[in-house]
Amino acid sequence: MSSETHADPTAGDTEPILTVENLQTAFYTDRETIRAVDSISFDVKRGETVGIVGESGSGKSVTARSIMGLIDSPGRIMPGSSIKFQGQELTELSDAEYRSVRGSGIGMVFQDPQQSLNPVYTVGNQIRESLKINRGITGEEAVEEATDLLEAVGIPDAKRRLDEYPHQFSGGMRQRAVIAMMLACDPDFLICDEPTTALDVTIQAQILDLLKDLQEERNLSILFITHDMGVIADIADRVNVMYAGQIVEQAPVEELFANPKHPYTRALIDSIPGEHSRKEGLETIEGEVPTPNEPADHCRFAPRCPKAFDACENVPPQHVSVSDEHDHTAACLLYPEDLTESHRVEKHLSLANDDTEGDT
Amino acid sequence: MNRGLYLIKRLLLAVPVMLFGLTLSFLILYLGPIDPVGTILGRQATPEDIRQLRIQLNIIYPNGEPVPLWDQYLRVMWDLFTLEFGQSWTVQRQTPVIDLIVGRMPATIWLGFWSVLIALFVGIPLGLYAGLRANTYRDYFASGFGIIWRAMPNFWLAVILAGLITAGGALDWYKDFIVTTTVTGTPDVLNNLFTLYHVFEGIPLLEALAIPVPNLIPMAIAFKWILPAALVLGSSSMGNEVRIGRTAVLESINSKYVDTAKSKGVSGRKIIYKHVGRNAIIPLLPVIMGEFYLLIGGSVLVEQVFGINGLGNLFFRSILGPDIPLVMALVFIFVIIQVTVNIVQDLLYTYIDPRISLEDTQ
Amino acid sequence: MSETTSKSIREDLTQRDELSLYTRIANNPRPFFKWAVPMLVLIAVEFPTYAGVAFGMLDAVVIGVTGLLDAAIGLVSSGLSQTIRDAQYAVVGVLRDAGGFVDGLPTLFSREVIPNQGYQTGPNGPWEGTFLGLEPAYAWALRATLIFAYALFTAYWVFRGWLVYRDHYREADWTPTDDIVDNLSNHQWGKFGIFVLILFLTMAVFGSALGPTTVEQNIQSPYSERINYFNEDTGEVDQVFPGDANFNSKSKGSAEFNVGPMSYDDYGRFHPFGTLTNGRDLFTFMMGGARITMIVSALAIGGAALIAAVFSMFSAYYSGRVDLTILTTADGVVSIPRLLLLILVSAVFANHWIGNVLNGGFLLAIIFAFTTWPFLWRAVRGPALQVAQEEWILAAKSYGQQPRTIMRKHMFPYIVGYLLVYASMSTGGIIIGLAALSFLGNGLGISPPTPAWGRAISMGQDYVSGPSWHISLLPGLMIVLLVTGLNALGDGIRDAIDPEAGGSAEGEEAAAGGGG
Ligand code: SF4
Repeated sequence: MSSETHADPTAGDTEPILTVENLQTAFYTDRETIRAVDSISFDVKRGETVGIVGESGSGKSVTARSIMGLIDSPGRIMPGSSIKFQGQELTELSDAEYRSVRGSGIGMVFQDPQQSLNPVYTVGNQIRESLKINRGITGEEAVEEATDLLEAVGIPDAKRRLDEYPHQFSGGMRQRAVIAMMLACDPDFLICDEPTTALDVTIQAQILDLLKDLQEERNLSILFITHDMGVIADIADRVNVMYAGQIVEQAPVEELFANPKHPYTRALIDSIPGEHSRKEGLETIEGEVPTPNEPADHCRFAPRCPKAFDACENVPPQHVSVSDEHDHTAACLLYPEDLTESHRVEKHLSLANDDTEGDT
Repeated sequence: MNRGLYLIKRLLLAVPVMLFGLTLSFLILYLGPIDPVGTILGRQATPEDIRQLRIQLNIIYPNGEPVPLWDQYLRVMWDLFTLEFGQSWTVQRQTPVIDLIVGRMPATIWLGFWSVLIALFVGIPLGLYAGLRANTYRDYFASGFGIIWRAMPNFWLAVILAGLITAGGALDWYKDFIVTTTVTGTPDVLNNLFTLYHVFEGIPLLEALAIPVPNLIPMAIAFKWILPAALVLGSSSMGNEVRIGRTAVLESINSKYVDTAKSKGVSGRKIIYKHVGRNAIIPLLPVIMGEFYLLIGGSVLVEQVFGINGLGNLFFRSILGPDIPLVMALVFIFVIIQVTVNIVQDLLYTYIDPRISLEDTQ
Repeated sequence: MSETTSKSIREDLTQRDELSLYTRIANNPRPFFKWAVPMLVLIAVEFPTYAGVAFGMLDAVVIGVTGLLDAAIGLVSSGLSQTIRDAQYAVVGVLRDAGGFVDGLPTLFSREVIPNQGYQTGPNGPWEGTFLGLEPAYAWALRATLIFAYALFTAYWVFRGWLVYRDHYREADWTPTDDIVDNLSNHQWGKFGIFVLILFLTMAVFGSALGPTTVEQNIQSPYSERINYFNEDTGEVDQVFPGDANFNSKSKGSAEFNVGPMSYDDYGRFHPFGTLTNGRDLFTFMMGGARITMIVSALAIGGAALIAAVFSMFSAYYSGRVDLTILTTADGVVSIPRLLLLILVSAVFANHWIGNVLNGGFLLAIIFAFTTWPFLWRAVRGPALQVAQEEWILAAKSYGQQPRTIMRKHMFPYIVGYLLVYASMSTGGIIIGLAALSFLGNGLGISPPTPAWGRAISMGQDYVSGPSWHISLLPGLMIVLLVTGLNALGDGIRDAIDPEAGGSAEGEEAAAGGGG
């Protein structure tokens, strides 16, 4: 939708490896339809790290699972959604075709390293499985490759640890092992869904450094999902801020922290306490993320927004450019700043109408 | 700790468990209101007969003094652990207990074997299937079966099934299906299931060894005969397996490691066989092992209804006797089976679930 | 903090709590009375029934417990045991008098108010003696329906009482119990379980009014009073002993000897479930069986749960050697298959006095409790261990709170939910085991002529495929229904306590019912 209209002219220099457009993922329960991801668009370029930040329930994990094709019933990716990976439209793939994209194309690291490894197989076994499926490496060679991978992610005494079971690894080591297992697939693109949340701060920093190193070595593209603004500041090149199934602000990372525009982003940044205790994070904003079960006909942040005004209850805000130098957009009725309130509302309304017409 | 040591520790722990069970039975039988002499000799016994029998049963010393309970206890335990089971009192007076038991064994083993196997091969696949198809109509159908199987009393199911098959009921055709067989009583083919070939004739030591070769026709007849009883005896285990299998699969399939495996590009089939399958077996293990527990108790009822001359039936008769040596011997055997099953289960755990370390399992 | 300060604070707190509940009701009595007055009416209309059940159970427990005490103390001093026996006679005498007295009081849904037993005055003549002259079948159906409706409503009203308390008188706005109750009320399967349980409890409590006839008249002493009936041969109203009528109403699997479900026998008696092989009314028999079944399983599961709770908290609190000892004991108990132990004990004690308390049910309840606790203990030990690690327990320990207090106040509330889950599921196994013993007969199980479900199944054994199929089939189906209901209730509570777990498979085998 509008992100293209306001595309930064300088962005054309690298092809995006992943383009998500108008992605809608809904869950159908007996009582209601939950629009967990409600029409979002963003892209990731080669060698770049793009962050998605938001509170729990904002739809960021569903976005990741949608890209991986891991949405199970009662969830569904709605028609009209598009996920293009290296030029290939993923939403149209059959199960078997999707399988060939997973692993060698896109890998994913989940939040909880405790549960990401199968407890009844050795770590080596699970890494070798990746090697065999995605690269056809078996036997002795696989053992060697697996050892190298464990060493590459910084696990000492790698050879011996291949024969250990996941429960014999510490939390940080386990996440390293998961990353090694994903690297064994040799993916071009890695989705990290809160990979450091379950770990303590020092380990967290180590894993982030590891990811940065690996990205450099292998020219990986990373989609990094977290609720932690501090982590985002550390690792992302560009950031999408998600709220209640929608992206509310998109900007390069320095720009976002320097000039946050959307009231929600501001609240997020304000809520980062000190350098050393990021933990509290977003919970310090009052209220909870609403469950998006109605089509958006208003600003979903309005109930918690300190700047909300009447129109916020009736007009769905659209992405508008909020910066002259950067590719920076926000979906808030306060922008573009240079217009009067009624003009702004009108502009958003007309953008919204264009959009719905475009859909049909 | 290695497995050998672990096994030894496990065996040592089994000793008090066995003693507990046996002591309990001893106390019930020897402290309870049973009059062994009256039971054996009836009312018209002469005082001298009574005195002789009492001495023989180790109730009084030859000098007329009563034997203290602990002395009787030690004697009984010693005999049991040295496999001196003595002679039957009432079931078949003066027949060695061991002969009675050996004679009844084939029927019960045959029944138990098939009930375990049928339950396994019906219950587990059905449970896994229900879990994989969770919340579809097929799942509800399979789970429904599981729920009902769990709730059906064995003896009632046996009565209904036996009734339908025998008395000209809806399943009357079963008797003449393929080969004509009975479904109640104990057919002779049971003693004819295997032919023993003494292939090592003339070679010292090995001579005694024989290779059993199954006789197909008697096997088929015996299978057809035992099928209804085995189905009944396995029914509640089957229900448990459906239920636990389903939850185990569901739990595993919704776990992060399955997502991770999918992210690696592992195929759906392999995910189910490799990643879900093995994890789902862990909670099923105690259910499978628990089958033996249900089997021993259930065999009393099922053998009663189907008129099978097995150990369960023998146990029932020996208790009604009361035939104390026979009861104690059977309890001894059942307790050994139970304790063995427990040890096997714990050992299997250490193979299947690497998270269970040999140190802290008990 | 010293022991005394923490104690006085606690007393402070509890006292204020108790006082304030009273004052809170005094301050705002309307909701309370709006609930309490109908509740009192509900109880009052059937008070004699409830009192009768209570006296009956007390009677059995007094005899059982004093009997056991007597036997134990008799080993030490015979004088003391004589005192106990005297006390027993005195108490039982009082209880029986009281029971006899309340028995004579009228109840709303009694067979006197809505009678269904009567006789026709001519071949097609009107019915005499039934409620409004209705056909006995309709009169009976009306009474049974009313009783079930009354019981369901009463159950709802009790629940309503908790709601009133929650909304108007509880200090806390929210407690974890609220969530559990809400979850359970959204759990269809669990609600089915509750419904089934209420159904069978109703049968147990109101059994004598639910049957078309009474256990007393039809089964226990069928030769004490004659009943009227229309004799088709003579064309007149004749009199007959129920026992003789039974003799001619047998269900023996042939066309001429069969009274099937929903039919009348030759004496104008309606049989909703048909008759037994000895001509007695199966439905009445089942109602009588429901009472003894529910009493025995309640005693058994209550005992087992109590032992399991105490032992699991011991295991968790002391761990180490204590835990190992309990473990060995539990394994020892389980090493003899339960049914075998049951057969063993009840056969040995068949003619002993303890085998006669509660028609043999008391002894069975004790054995069931003794053989069931290891399963419950195993299932609850995990949660108990978990809670023992919690910080508040450690804190309580460091304040020097008594272990007993810690267990009762901090650990027990945590494990009670799990206990309910597995208790509910294990009760199915107990019910089946009880029926199995009665099925085996030969002095095992509930002693005749007291009705027992298993015995009905055993009687019908030879008639499964024939006109008298009802004798074995219907009692079995009732057991299946009850056991399924109890399993459903267990599922419901488990999902309500821990909706996330979605039915963890662990500890389940503990509840593996069946067997019998
Ligand atoms: S649109 Fe209104 S409510 Fe929404 S963020 Fe902007 S100012 Fe706040």
